[in-house]
Amino acid sequence: MSAVAAAPSKLKRTGLPVPLIIIGSVLLVFVCLFPFWWMGLSSIKTLRELYTIPPIWWPSMPTLDNYRKVLFESNIPRYFLNSVVVSVGSTGLALILAIFASYGFARFNFRGKPLLQSFVLVGQLLPTAAIIVPLFITLRVLGLVNTYWGLILVYMILTLPLSVWMLTSYFKAIPVELEEAAIIDGASRIGCLFRITLPLSIPGLVSVLVYAFVTTWNEFIFALCFATDSSVKTLPIGLAEFSTEFNTDWGAVMAASVVMTLPIAILFLSMQRLFVGGMTAGATKG
Amino acid sequence: MGSVSIRDARKAYGNVEILHGVSIDIADGEFVVLVGPSGCGKSTLLRMLAGLEEISGGEIAIDGKVVNSLPPKERDIAMVFQSYALYPHMTVGQNMGFSLKLARAPKDEIKRRVAVAAQMLSLDPYLDRYPRQLSGGQRQRVAMGRAMVRDPKVFLFDEPLSNLDAKLRVQMRSEIKQNHQRLSTTTVYVTHDQIEAMTMADRIVVMHDGIVEQIGTPLELYDFPDNLFVAAFIGSPSMNILGGKLQAGSFIAADGSAIPLPFAPTGMDGRVVSMGIRPEHFVLDPQGLSAQIITVEPTGSETQVAMRLAGHDVVGVFRERITARPGEHIQVRPEQGRIHLFDGETGKRIKHS
Repeated sequence: MSAVAAAPSKLKRTGLPVPLIIIGSVLLVFVCLFPFWWMGLSSIKTLRELYTIPPIWWPSMPTLDNYRKVLFESNIPRYFLNSVVVSVGSTGLALILAIFASYGFARFNFRGKPLLQSFVLVGQLLPTAAIIVPLFITLRVLGLVNTYWGLILVYMILTLPLSVWMLTSYFKAIPVELEEAAIIDGASRIGCLFRITLPLSIPGLVSVLVYAFVTTWNEFIFALCFATDSSVKTLPIGLAEFSTEFNTDWGAVMAASVVMTLPIAILFLSMQRLFVGGMTAGATKG
Repeated sequence: MGSVSIRDARKAYGNVEILHGVSIDIADGEFVVLVGPSGCGKSTLLRMLAGLEEISGGEIAIDGKVVNSLPPKERDIAMVFQSYALYPHMTVGQNMGFSLKLARAPKDEIKRRVAVAAQMLSLDPYLDRYPRQLSGGQRQRVAMGRAMVRDPKVFLFDEPLSNLDAKLRVQMRSEIKQNHQRLSTTTVYVTHDQIEAMTMADRIVVMHDGIVEQIGTPLELYDFPDNLFVAAFIGSPSMNILGGKLQAGSFIAADGSAIPLPFAPTGMDGRVVSMGIRPEHFVLDPQGLSAQIITVEPTGSETQVAMRLAGHDVVGVFRERITARPGEHIQVRPEQGRIHLFDGETGKRIKHS
């Protein structure tokens, strides 16, 4: 944006007129943000106000009652902790494995490399429903049902393929000469990776980190099947628990949703610049 | 300080051999330039010397020690890459000190040696900048500084100037030469530019299609090229080659015109040969051969003339100013003793004295 603004004003603008662009952007932002706004709004409404038709745009008596309920009278805090443990664990594990796998794919030629690379993707192509039963059986045999490790490993399987592909193309875009120079300067292969390649791949690493974290944080089906004990249930399951057969406490659902959304929003906003850089760099150079 | 000895070095990728046994001996402190057209294997040879490519056959020794199976860091060499290969996330100072840091040298020692190199290359004001904030010439100097800081036995340069513009290239050329004169570290320098080779080298190795065509000092290559390839490759504009045969002490060109030779090769009558004359070795002579002018290109100090002589298009460079116009004729002859003869079949130089 600043680049456009800094461009000499003599250059003729091309494309749509400015008012149209502004209207379009506002409309798009509104459509994207409306659910979040509604979520936040509903979380401070009283139960009665929630069901009025036409809807109330601003509650007459904003209340934090829903938050009190969610934070002190439900399992949500425990689920939040579980989600943090599982997401951080699986993201960290996926990132470490992806770094080494991608570096191998990007820098070395070995027999069967194309085949292996395709196999990495095959896991991604299988429908969730098709692998849920085999995974459950595997986890049960290993005694990992209803454990943190079970979910961490399953989520790693889920996020690793795309992470490997993202990082491989990122690593490939880094000139080989830099590593050759480092090798001549006396670095080992691992030294090259950690001192040269990784510092230059920070945007790529951040993209993978955000992708893996968000995916695992929001995941529902696997968590539903493999974590049936409240000691390991994650936030998406917790949200669903507010709906019972006869009644749904929408106020509490909304408050819990806000609690669940905050970490993701903070993650995104804090890493936004690096993340966007990583996405485009991977796209154009990969 | 170190000597380099390359014995019958070979390189093959699968079944395709691209270096067919190269042998070069480089003395301690010598500046040797590997030159040749692209694809001749010169860069591959340099990378084998550096340890970035495996050696498929033969032997490479640095300072008397065979390095075939040694990793780069144990060969005590430093390399300057064509793309400079500066680490973008490190400052100039960190770039230059990286090898010492990896070698776990004490911090003040690193600082001292970086400062010495930076001063020599007039980089001291830039030590805290990042490579992206430098100009092309400065980056080139940082790349050299990174190599100098280590005080290696051998410097390797892989076409270090080809990313610079023409003027900067000439300037960096003399800077590299000066640094070599100050440090007198053995240097192997790869380029495809024969001017760079001629101006910088103590000795030049001309390579072509994976073999060494000739090794010699710049003037040896210029005065006594071993074969047609070297004759045509060294010198600018390049040597004129005329096809014909020898007869009765003269060279008979394809169109029948005779060029008398200052020497009389005996027993070679009828032999098919190529005659080489450098453009600068034509002289104007009213008794000479008649040549029709095609174009005249004056540069001020000299005049380059494209002309048709004995059925061939040739180029002559004259110190005199030529006033003749295209289509007209001038009389020229090759300078005495400056005629090169090559065997018509093998392209090898025919020695005469």
